[in-house]
Amino acid sequence: MFLEIHNIRKSYGEGESKVEVLRGIDLEIEKGEICVLLGPSGSGKSTLLNIIGGIDSADDGYIAINGEKTADMSDRALTRYRRRHLGYIFQMYNLIPNLNIKENVEVGAYLSEHPLQTDDILKTLGLYEHRHKLPNQLSGGQQQRTAIGRAIVKNPDILLCDEPTGALDYNTSKEILRLIEEVNAKYGSTVIMVTHNSALADMADRVIKLRDGQIRKNYRNETKKSAAELDW
Amino acid sequence: MRNPLGKRLPRELTKEFGKYIAIFLFLIGMISLGSGFLVCSHSMAAAYDESFEKYHIEDGNLEFSEEPDADTLADIEKTGKLTLYPNFYKEEDTEGFESTLRIFQKRKDIDLECLMEGEFPAGKGEIAVDRMYADNNDLHVGDSLTAGKDTFRITGLVALSDYSALFSSQSDMMFDAVQFGVAIVTPETFDAVRDTHLHYSYSWIYDNPPANSKAAKTRSEDLLDDLADYLTEKAESKAEELITEAVMRGEDPASVKLPEFLTIKNYIPAYANQAIHFTGDDISGDNAMMTVFLYIMIAVIAFVFAITTSNTITKEAQVIGTLRASGYTRGELVRHYLTVPLIVTLIAAVVGNILGYTVLKDAFADLYYRSYSLPTYETLWDPEAFIKTTIIPAILMTLINWVVLSSKLRISPLNFMRGDLTPSRKKKAFPLNTKIPILHRFRMRIFFQNIPSYLVVVFGIFFGCFILLFGCAFTPMFNQYQQSIVENMIAEYQYVLKSPEDTDDAEAEKYLMTSLQTTFEKRKAEDVSIFGMEKDSRHKPLDFASDDAVYISDGFSKKFKLHVGDTFTLAEKYDDGSYTFTIAGIRDYPAGNAVFMTLAHYRDVFDTDADAYTGYFSHHELDLDEENVAMTIVKDDLTKTSRQLIVSMGGMANIVKGFAVIMFVLLIYLLSKIIIERNAQAISMTKILGYTKGEIGGLYILTTTLVVVLSFLICIPLCNMAMGSFIHVALASYPGWFEYHITPDILVKMFLLGMASYAVVAAALIWRIGRIPMADALKNRE
Repeated sequence: MFLEIHNIRKSYGEGESKVEVLRGIDLEIEKGEICVLLGPSGSGKSTLLNIIGGIDSADDGYIAINGEKTADMSDRALTRYRRRHLGYIFQMYNLIPNLNIKENVEVGAYLSEHPLQTDDILKTLGLYEHRHKLPNQLSGGQQQRTAIGRAIVKNPDILLCDEPTGALDYNTSKEILRLIEEVNAKYGSTVIMVTHNSALADMADRVIKLRDGQIRKNYRNETKKSAAELDW
Repeated sequence: MRNPLGKRLPRELTKEFGKYIAIFLFLIGMISLGSGFLVCSHSMAAAYDESFEKYHIEDGNLEFSEEPDADTLADIEKTGKLTLYPNFYKEEDTEGFESTLRIFQKRKDIDLECLMEGEFPAGKGEIAVDRMYADNNDLHVGDSLTAGKDTFRITGLVALSDYSALFSSQSDMMFDAVQFGVAIVTPETFDAVRDTHLHYSYSWIYDNPPANSKAAKTRSEDLLDDLADYLTEKAESKAEELITEAVMRGEDPASVKLPEFLTIKNYIPAYANQAIHFTGDDISGDNAMMTVFLYIMIAVIAFVFAITTSNTITKEAQVIGTLRASGYTRGELVRHYLTVPLIVTLIAAVVGNILGYTVLKDAFADLYYRSYSLPTYETLWDPEAFIKTTIIPAILMTLINWVVLSSKLRISPLNFMRGDLTPSRKKKAFPLNTKIPILHRFRMRIFFQNIPSYLVVVFGIFFGCFILLFGCAFTPMFNQYQQSIVENMIAEYQYVLKSPEDTDDAEAEKYLMTSLQTTFEKRKAEDVSIFGMEKDSRHKPLDFASDDAVYISDGFSKKFKLHVGDTFTLAEKYDDGSYTFTIAGIRDYPAGNAVFMTLAHYRDVFDTDADAYTGYFSHHELDLDEENVAMTIVKDDLTKTSRQLIVSMGGMANIVKGFAVIMFVLLIYLLSKIIIERNAQAISMTKILGYTKGEIGGLYILTTTLVVVLSFLICIPLCNMAMGSFIHVALASYPGWFEYHITPDILVKMFLLGMASYAVVAAALIWRIGRIPMADALKNRE
C-alpha cells in the first residue's frame, strides 16, 4: 500500500476542555488515486491532512508512506519527507508575498532533484504572462494556480489540497479542479483533497466521509466524473 | 460609553511582552542617562555659576617680576579702577610621587575655598589640598605630604574657586589634576615654606564689573595697555633718575648699571582663565552633546516602535479591516495603536527620571568630580531636563508613530480584511535577473521588503559604532598621542633659565625661546613657542635650508591649516610688537604650536644680544643652579593633556563600550525579530514545503547578517573619519593640536565586538525561526 494511515488519534486541550479531533482513523490510499476527504467543519479532515503532511503530529497511530512511518522520523527526516514526497495547496494560497509568480514556483522547484520546467508549468497554468507580477496583483484563481504550480513543479508523490477552491468562485473553482485532475493524470501524483463541498466527491477515486473525528464512509467512487462535469 | 478597544491594550502589552520590555528597558536606560546627566549638569552648573559670587572669584590676576611697592599698587588700582589682592604662591615638587604643588595662603577676601572634607589648616605645618588632586594621588586627610623641603599634615580637602580645572598654565591644552595640584596653608606656614620661587601674583576685582565677556575683554585689554604704559613710564623715569644721579656724582652715564625693573610676568583676565572657565564651558558643551545624543536615540527607538506597530497592524489586518468595516474611524485606530508606544514611553520616562534623579545623577556627579575641582552642589529640579527627557521623547514618539500609522491605516477596510496591505496593487516586483539562483533572489527580495528596518539598523549601527569607537579608541588614542609626543620631543630635559648660566656639560645645547600669540581672524588667540635652535642641532635636527629659514610644527600647521610658503603673523602677548614669518617647511612636533628658526635668525628677529640664550636642551639632567632655572620641561609636562583625558574620561570608556554593545544587540534583535515576524507565514510555508532549518536560516538570517556585516564594514571607517572631524571640532578651542590617529587593530576589534554582539542576536533569531510553527501558514489565513 502506498499510503497507510493507522489508528490515528489526535486531541487538543486538557481536562474538561479536551476535544478529541480524530478518534482512530484507519485508511489506505493507493498510489495515483484522487482521494477526497469530505466532512463538515470540525470533522477533523484538515487535522488529518496536516498529520499526513507532517505538519502536525498524532497522539497515537501512524502514517506510513511506502512503508516508512512518519512517527519514527526525526524533525530532519520529516523535513526530508515533506521535501521529497509532498506538495501542498491551501485554501488561502499561502504564496510568499514578496516573491513574484515565477519565483514562488521556483521556490518549490528548488526542493526537487528532478523538478519540472518552471516556464512549462507557468504556461500550462496560464500564468506565463503574469510571471513577473507579485501575488497581490493577481486574482484569487490566478494565485491558486500559482500555488498549484509551486506544489507540482517538484513533481511530488502526494499532492495535499486543503479546501483548494474554498475561496474561489464557481468557474474558477472548476478550473482549479480541472488542473488538479490534469496534474494527477499527467504526473501520476496521488491527490488527497479536503473539502466540505460534497460535489467534489464525484471527481474522486476514493471518498472518505468524516464526522466527529471518525470515518463514517470510505468507498471507491465507481462513477467518477471529470472536473468539467462537476456541478454544485 | 468607553472605547472597548482600550480593553485590548493590556493584552497587546502582554502578548508582545518580550519586545516591549526590551524597548522599555532601552528607553529607561536612555531617559535615565539623559535625565541623570542633565539634572547633574544643571545642578553642577548652578553651583558653578553661584560660586563666582559665593566664593568671590576674581576678575583677573597678574604676576609681577617682583613685589611692587604700595604706591605702585595704589597707582594700578586707581588707573584700572579695581582692587588688587595679593595671592602669592610657591610651587614645590612633591616627594614620593611626581607632581607639582602650587601652595597659596588661605584666602580671606578673594577666590575663597570650599571645604570638601576635614578642616582648613589652622596650625603650622598643616595643609589643605585640592580634593581631586588628592583623589588622583591617593592622598587623604591625616596623611603626610612632602613638597620641596617641607613636610605637611593634610587637614582637609578643598576646592579652590579659581582652580575648578587644574590648569597650571594657560598655554596648556588640558589641565592636569594628576601631576599638578593646588593647596592652601596658613600665612605662617606659607612664610616658612623654603621655596625660592615666590610668585608675586595679585588677583583683582573691578570696582564696576563689566557687563559681559565682550566688555570684560575690552576692559582687560585696556587695562593691560595702561599697565604696560605705566610700568614703562615708571621704569624710564627711574632709569632717568639713576642716570641723573650718576651724572651728578660725575660718573659716566653709560657705566650706570640699571636694575631689573618691575615687569608683568603673567596677565590673565578671568574671562580667558581656563582654570576658572573651562569647567563651565565643558559642562554646557556636555549638556548640548547629551541632548543631541538623547534625541537621536529616542528617534531611533521611535522608528523601532513605528516598525513594530506597523508589523502589529500587518498581523492584525483582518481585525482592523473588521473594525473599520464596523464603523471605527481611522483616527480611533491610530489613537489605539499609538497608546501602547506612548504608555511605554511615559512609564519609561517616569522610571527613567526617578533613576536619573537618584542613582545616575550621583554617578555623573562622580564623573564631574573626577574631572573638575568643583564645590559641593545641591540637586535642583530641572524643568529643561524634564522637557528634554519626557515631553520631547513623548512628542517624538507620538509624531513618528502617528506618521507611520496614518499612512499604514490609509488602506481600505476590504484590503485589510483580505490581508492586502500594499498601498497600491500596481506595485510591481523589482525586476531581478532570473539567472541569479532562486535563493539569492529570495534573499534580495527579503532585503527589498525590509529596507526601512534595515535603514534603521544601518543608522543604529553607525551611531553605535561611533559610541563604540569612542569607547574602544579612547585610551589607545591618547596613549598613541602621548607616544608620538614623547618620540618627537626635542630633548628629555628642556631647561628654561631665569638668568644665563654657563655649563661645561657637553650634552647641553643652548636655545632661545619666547612665546607669542596667534593673530588669525575668527580664531581664538593661542600661544606659539618660538624656538631659536643651533643650525645643526643634535637634539632636533631641523635641516635648516638657510640661516633665515622658518619652520613650523606639524601640529601648528594642521590646526591653523598653514602650508609651506604661507605667511603668518604672531603678536606679543603683553605688548604691541608683532612678527611675520614665511613658512619654509613643516617639522614633526605634535606637542603644540611651535616655530623653529636658527639662533642667529632668532637673535636678528627679536633683537637680542649675540650671545643670548634662554635655556638648554639635554638628554640628561644638568647640574644647574636652581636659582637660575625657571622651569624644567620633561616628557610628563608634554603629555599632561592626554594623561588627564585618560584619567577623567578613561572610566567612561567601558561604560560607553557596554552601552554600544547593548544598543547593537537590542536594536538589531528588535528589528530582525520584526523581519522574522513579518515573514512568519512565509517561513512557516517554507517549512511545510520542506526547506531545512539551515536553508530557512540562510534565507532570513543571512540577509540580515549581510546587512549587519556590510553596515559594520562601511560604518566603522565612516565613524573613524567622523570621529576625526568630531575630535578636531571638539578640541578646536583648546590650545595646541591633537592628532587623531588610531591603529587599525582598534577598528578590527570594533568589528569583532560588533560581530560578537550580532552572534548573540543571530542565535536568538535562529531559535525564534525554529519556534515558528508550521501551522502558522494554515490557521491565520482561515
